[in-house]
Amino acid sequence: MQEFSYERPASIAEAVAAIGAPEARALAGGTDLVPQLREGRRRAARVVDLKSVPEMTTIAALPDGGMSIGAAVTATALARHPVIAARYPAVAQSAQLIGGVQVQNRASLGGNICNAAPSADGVPALICHAARALIAGPKGRREMPVEAMFAGPGRTNLAADELLVAIALPTAAPRAAAAYLRFTPRREMDIAVAGAAAWLRLADDGAIADARIALASVAPTPIRAPTAERKLVGERPGAALFEEAGRLAAADARPISDTRGSADYRRTLVAVLATRALADCGRQLGFSIEVA
Amino acid sequence: MGEDAVAKAPPLKVLGKRVPRVDARERVTGEARYPADVARSGMAHAKLLRSPHPHARIRHIDTARAAALKGVLAVVTAADFLELPLGASVPMGETGYDMWMVAQINMARQKVFWVGQPVAAVAAVDPHVAEEALKLIAVDYEVLPAVLDIAAAIAADAPVLHEHVITKGVDPRPRAPSNVCSRTVIARGDAASALAAATATATARLRVQVDTAHQGYLEPQAVIAEVDANGFATVWASTQGQFTAELMIAAMLGMPSSQLKVVPLEIGGGFGGKICIHGEAVALRLAQKCRRPVKLVFSREELLQGGSGPPAAALIEIEVGAARDGGLVAIEGTYHLDAGGLPGLSPSLVMQASAALYQTPNLNLQGYDVVTNKPRTEAYRAPVGIQAAFAMEQAMDMLSQQLGMDPLAFRLRNAAVTGSQMPIGTPFPSIGLTTILERVRAHACWRDPLPEGRKPRGRGLALGYWRGTSMTSAGHITIAGDGRPMVTMGAVDLSGTRTTMAQVVAEEFGLDLHDVHIQTGDSKSVGYSDGAAGSRVARTMAAALVEASRDALTQLRRRAAEKLQCAADELDYAAGVFRLPRSGATISLAELMQATLTEGAIVGRGVSTKLPLGVEIGAHVCDVEVDTATGLVTVLRYTAFQDVGLALNPAAVEGQMEGSVVQGLGWALTEGFDYGPDGRLRNASLLDYRMPTALDVPKIDCVIVETPVPNVPYGVRGVGEVPIVPPAAAVANAIARATGVRLTRMPMTPERVLAALKG
Amino acid sequence: MKTLLNCTINGEAQSVLADTRDTLLDLLRDRLGLTGTKEGCGNGNCGTCTVLMDGAPVNACLVLALEAPGRDIVTIEGLSESEALHPLQEALVQHGGTQCGFCTPGIVLSAKALLDENPQPTEAEIRHAIAGNLCRCTGYGKIVEAIAAVAGSQANG
Repeated sequence: MQEFSYERPASIAEAVAAIGAPEARALAGGTDLVPQLREGRRRAARVVDLKSVPEMTTIAALPDGGMSIGAAVTATALARHPVIAARYPAVAQSAQLIGGVQVQNRASLGGNICNAAPSADGVPALICHAARALIAGPKGRREMPVEAMFAGPGRTNLAADELLVAIALPTAAPRAAAAYLRFTPRREMDIAVAGAAAWLRLADDGAIADARIALASVAPTPIRAPTAERKLVGERPGAALFEEAGRLAAADARPISDTRGSADYRRTLVAVLATRALADCGRQLGFSIEVA
Repeated sequence: MGEDAVAKAPPLKVLGKRVPRVDARERVTGEARYPADVARSGMAHAKLLRSPHPHARIRHIDTARAAALKGVLAVVTAADFLELPLGASVPMGETGYDMWMVAQINMARQKVFWVGQPVAAVAAVDPHVAEEALKLIAVDYEVLPAVLDIAAAIAADAPVLHEHVITKGVDPRPRAPSNVCSRTVIARGDAASALAAATATATARLRVQVDTAHQGYLEPQAVIAEVDANGFATVWASTQGQFTAELMIAAMLGMPSSQLKVVPLEIGGGFGGKICIHGEAVALRLAQKCRRPVKLVFSREELLQGGSGPPAAALIEIEVGAARDGGLVAIEGTYHLDAGGLPGLSPSLVMQASAALYQTPNLNLQGYDVVTNKPRTEAYRAPVGIQAAFAMEQAMDMLSQQLGMDPLAFRLRNAAVTGSQMPIGTPFPSIGLTTILERVRAHACWRDPLPEGRKPRGRGLALGYWRGTSMTSAGHITIAGDGRPMVTMGAVDLSGTRTTMAQVVAEEFGLDLHDVHIQTGDSKSVGYSDGAAGSRVARTMAAALVEASRDALTQLRRRAAEKLQCAADELDYAAGVFRLPRSGATISLAELMQATLTEGAIVGRGVSTKLPLGVEIGAHVCDVEVDTATGLVTVLRYTAFQDVGLALNPAAVEGQMEGSVVQGLGWALTEGFDYGPDGRLRNASLLDYRMPTALDVPKIDCVIVETPVPNVPYGVRGVGEVPIVPPAAAVANAIARATGVRLTRMPMTPERVLAALKG
Repeated sequence: MKTLLNCTINGEAQSVLADTRDTLLDLLRDRLGLTGTKEGCGNGNCGTCTVLMDGAPVNACLVLALEAPGRDIVTIEGLSESEALHPLQEALVQHGGTQCGFCTPGIVLSAKALLDENPQPTEAEIRHAIAGNLCRCTGYGKIVEAIAAVAGSQANG
């Protein structure tokens, strides 16, 4: 294993300076980075431990009514936060799917995003909520949609000298609901074979005003399912509609076959999971919807 | 041991009781010591260099740069070990253990046969240096074409792994070598004709493919080897058999037996995968070369990626036929077993096991062991039992459906009983299959209607049989100054036998359990005992320790008689006290030992060899729910019935059953090796080699049946292996009842279940 | 490279010479000789290396030793004071919840963290709390029973 230096910055400015060094890697929970370093799958000459940077480890209300989640906040802390659990339950539930209890006590949404695995369980719900990535670099702060963070498996669109500081969730819209479902062969501890998050916002007349579907493990990055989304807008929630949307989402998916599942199976799962996630949203919004 | 027919006449006081393990405390406090926990002064750290190719010739290995690296203390290759001839073996039970194979598993010589086979090893001052040193070893391979599964290996122009392998059991003897090592036939009557005739009544046929899996012991292989100033070697190992390990190490290094000992420490699970040595001899050779203790600990990835011996993949085809009244008329089976990279996996036991429980006049079982370029397979609790049951028990289920018979009634109709002819022709010794089946019939798990759910649900029944083995167990008992027995047993405690054997000795001496001290001896401090395997230890060590107890008591009686000045046979003995009835004089064991300390030790010795078998039989009932949209199978309820002869300790028996069932469920549903076309395992981590978590299985209910074995002390049967045999078939039968679909591929992953549902 | 780390392990201040590449697991086992915490897989998938860090179960193989200073770390060795076993340890002994013992230290700590926070868990909550601790020997039944028994007895005072 390569030797590395270890820094523990106390502020964003210090953290940005530290991450600018050659082969510097950010460390939050370490649940991805530590085994990667030990197994030689990633290299680091310097490890920058972000857990002493206050902005990275806190959850705070935003002036616009949304919430800011520090990039290094643990999945456990996130899932238990009363506002997150109440207003963004899909985000809280997603956090509880990342590994078992031990992993959740360390893993972070920021790490989940920056590790950029297509299977990242924390990401689809964030995409559905139109979450924004708050980024700091030597030139200052910037934002981008979380959805735009992913360049490919294991690669983000962050520059080498930038850090993800926090994830901003917009204020929870009224008459909106989200859900994330994933499929794993075991009840816990597995990487998702496929995952689907759905978000629906209803207009005053009860028709779907806006819909987002985000998929995990079925493309080189987390992706949207635009065909399925277009199908939903303007319609009233119902089982047949959701089943059709599920089929369209499956067609939007671009999975590969690997040891966890074949491409065909993943497409099948997308249809099922998207349908079920939509049905879950529908039930949250007061509709009685039964799907397979 | 003839007079110990059934259970002892007076009621048992300690045996048969649900007592906690005598060694549980150190486990819950973390004080139990496994080899990786040991640190020896000046210890070096070893790592193995492993083949990246599934099939290759080794042209040359250059270790010079590695040896020159600062901090490297020794480097070894096959040149540092004896070259053992084909046919070399070490003693083990009746068949011995193929030492030519063991040597290759531990250090490849001239050829590599699987990804991960060791080709060299280093010892260094720390693991990081050892890792760097491996990168400096240059191996010149001539890569050869590989065969990665049975079908590829038996194809007409398949590349041959071993030029010396000519298929045995084929007449006329083939001229050319092949990857089929042997053909074994077990037959009686005329199965082909009987099956042909049975098409008019009922037949069923099934062909299954089983992926290999892994024993999944949580503790990776670990060993420390140390040589003293006189060249005497001590090896602390995680092993199922210290004597077997010693024999194997000595054979590889050409050491006389008196020059080494193997000390078995705690073992974090074995299940058959730690009978063969993996690294012990290499660690010792390194220790000899660098004159420091050497510690070798496998990583999880390396043990999965060819560093250990998984159980066999298999292709099994079964055809069964019955008459109109449900009587079985014939069983035909073809079993292809995947031995991995080295020959010698006999199909005989598993063929017998899969058909043993059924009475039928016509039987034709053909078994083939085939080599492929994957790790050499090793045992995993009732080896190949679960694979065979996956085929046979589904075929029987299908047949019962054909006949319109309840599957339990069908089994009762055809169940073997004491005296029935076993597949190899000998009569079944005492068995209680019909008793078990009647218990199933009466039990809530069979009578309760299946609870309704939104998804399809079904209930499956499957049987299991395992013969087990006896081999040799030895032990001795000394008596401490306070009169308490100190037991040294020769077998490693794999299944809680320190506790059950302490119970045996306590029972024999009429003492409390906690008056008995017990330990497992190392390979020089106790009589030779074969490894803990084959469900043999409780039964055979009980026999040995009964003998040892009686031997010790005889010696004690003589001394007591001297002290009480009477004839030995005038004395009564009970609960630690000798009493002379005619005078009322007594002397306790403690008093006796205090009074005779200078007269030499009391040493009671016992050994058991080839004890009559206590065959294991089980019947399992499983309720499942199938998500027909995703293929996910949920086990809702599971009940395991088993005949254990006598439950020495019901808590321990249940523990064995529950754990073994969950292993079976894991292989049934989520565990399977996924080899890529390059011969590398694609799921060599516990993330993607999916063993059940606490959320994946329900509570396993156990029903213990007791049909004692004659001529065995306490009538004890083996326990730990058969529970892994039925689960996959029980689940498959339940899925079939729920959905109408038969699964023929194991593990029955959600993807495979869904594909089968979609037809 | 070597580094001196000041850590709090089982309530005691320890000054340990570690390799900068060590994980917390390496630190505990190889530098401090606290071998009750086990290595089963090295990458967070088995739970045999579970320790409590500031009261929360974590996989020690996923924590760098360099992160340990300033945290309150409890290993299995820190659980029983003097001769008396913690009720969870006693329950596992009495209910047959340990066989080979390799998963046991991790199970004990995960269960302790559960009961510290949720003294009356349902069976599902118990199974969830130990889902990150694989056991290959027991099939989990007697482990769950033991934990439930402790919860039950604590409810009865």
